[in-house]
Amino acid sequence: MSVDYHQLLRDSLTRLPTVAATIDSIRKAVQDRGEIVILYFNFDRYSKVEEVYGWEKLDSVLETTGEAMRAFLNKSPLASSKLMVAFPNDDDFVFFHVPQDDTPAATDAEITEITAGLKEAVSSEIERVHGEDIAALFDIFVGRAHVVYNPKLRMERQIYRGIREAANASKSLEHREQARKVSDLRDTLRNRGLYIEYHPIVITDSQKVFGYEALARGTMRSMRSPEVMFEIAAQSDLIWDLSRLCRDRAIEGMGKLLKDGELLFMNVDPADFADPSFDVNALHVKDPTRVVIEITERTAIKDYPKFRGRLKEFRDAGYRFAVDDAGSGYAGLGSIANLEPDFIKLDMSLINCIDQNFIKQNLVETMVRFANEHGAMVIAEGVERKEEFEMVKSLGVHLVQGFFVHKPSTSAVTYRPPIHPAPALADGAT
Amino acid sequence: MSDTSHPPILVVDDNPDNAHIIRDYLEARGFPITVAYNGDDALRAFEEVKPALVLLDVMMPGRDGWQVCREIKQHPTLGKSVRVVMVTALDDWVNKRQALQTGADDFVEKPFELSHLAATVERNVKLLAPNASIGTSAAASRR
Repeated sequence: MSVDYHQLLRDSLTRLPTVAATIDSIRKAVQDRGEIVILYFNFDRYSKVEEVYGWEKLDSVLETTGEAMRAFLNKSPLASSKLMVAFPNDDDFVFFHVPQDDTPAATDAEITEITAGLKEAVSSEIERVHGEDIAALFDIFVGRAHVVYNPKLRMERQIYRGIREAANASKSLEHREQARKVSDLRDTLRNRGLYIEYHPIVITDSQKVFGYEALARGTMRSMRSPEVMFEIAAQSDLIWDLSRLCRDRAIEGMGKLLKDGELLFMNVDPADFADPSFDVNALHVKDPTRVVIEITERTAIKDYPKFRGRLKEFRDAGYRFAVDDAGSGYAGLGSIANLEPDFIKLDMSLINCIDQNFIKQNLVETMVRFANEHGAMVIAEGVERKEEFEMVKSLGVHLVQGFFVHKPSTSAVTYRPPIHPAPALADGAT
Repeated sequence: MSDTSHPPILVVDDNPDNAHIIRDYLEARGFPITVAYNGDDALRAFEEVKPALVLLDVMMPGRDGWQVCREIKQHPTLGKSVRVVMVTALDDWVNKRQALQTGADDFVEKPFELSHLAATVERNVKLLAPNASIGTSAAASRR
């Protein structure tokens, strides 16, 4: 086996060399062997990980990806050939496969097989290290290009053209996959193929369940992640239909799930308020005071006065509001104050590694003070580690949600005593 | 890094008076200090000295503190292990959010008391302990 990792210009996260650093040895290899296969690995939605969880998380996910890829490739049939891996500095990877003298270059069928294996290996490692939600976002499309040595052409150009060709091939696979997902989404809507997982929100001090956030999951494997479902729905103009189904399903489960005083947190996109069927009277909710409508700060609200008017209708009927992903943008506290929320759900990127970052601590402290002044409660979402839990608790955050206290599940959870003094109570503690 | 409780610190400020006051104060407390007076020098000094902590003024002509912070934090070999404290006169949500985006770990509001600056330095130095790295233990072990 001769995996050739170039000594210079390695990417610090994946420990893989950059394309520029490998080009020289690739040129020599192509001249010697006469051909090379370029594989372009297009990792879909890694940018989403960064957007939702913050850059530290994506760094960490890329690190896991690099390790899992190296481990897999060292065991794969390609490992007997000369293989170079490069990282073009974003979140995709390029492989250069130079076949051995006596073996032909990997065929499309072999590449398909390796791709499937690699996808499985990386995805299960990401799930093991970073959890199901992040793994559900993971998708990989591999494009292939075959470069045969032609002395009339400049070698670097041939290689870069090969990379581009492989990248384009991976993109067209991605588009084909998109079309399949749109059809899966239509099936989901037709068959009501969607269930709800309820993610407990607990009182920070007592760890008693305060309420549950309803998270929609598609029953089809490709529709498992709500982010994926909503992304596909947005592209195919099916947002309202998907939102309606999610709301109906979440409300259907309310009666069985909620005990006295517990609340149901339900995600609603600001765009849903323009849906004529999203109406106070159309929601089959017996007691609206038990329902909290979560509005994400991420979506720009175009017509503020009209939007506030719609909010008021719901508020007058007894519904409460939460601003979701608060602090994700630069808008600050003013835009949050405008919505007069009852709950402020902090963006996960503010919670991730908060014990290590004093700026995050300061921002959360500011938000808690603001909430206390405005009669709102702050919810820290994405609490995954004991240190994060302890920190948000010390900052006065009222409510906590995250794998450290409970994972989402289809049923209600039983009350758990506070973490102190026994720290090993949480399911998802790492 | 022989003395882990007093690791090397890089102080970056385009105002020499400010930079020297900070240098003298922290040197008196046992920290080895290097000073840079603009962004370009800061990046050069960063690679040379390999400081554990950078105190970075935001408002500088040319490459400002935000840019320098981003480049330091994205440094392929040193970026993961260094802690960056922004020194800034601007105190609002937008600035703090921006500081987070650039990868900064802490901030000191201008004007500041030297004792407050020292406390800020100390609390960041404490987190430099080998086991105090963030969730990515593999990254920490490769430092």
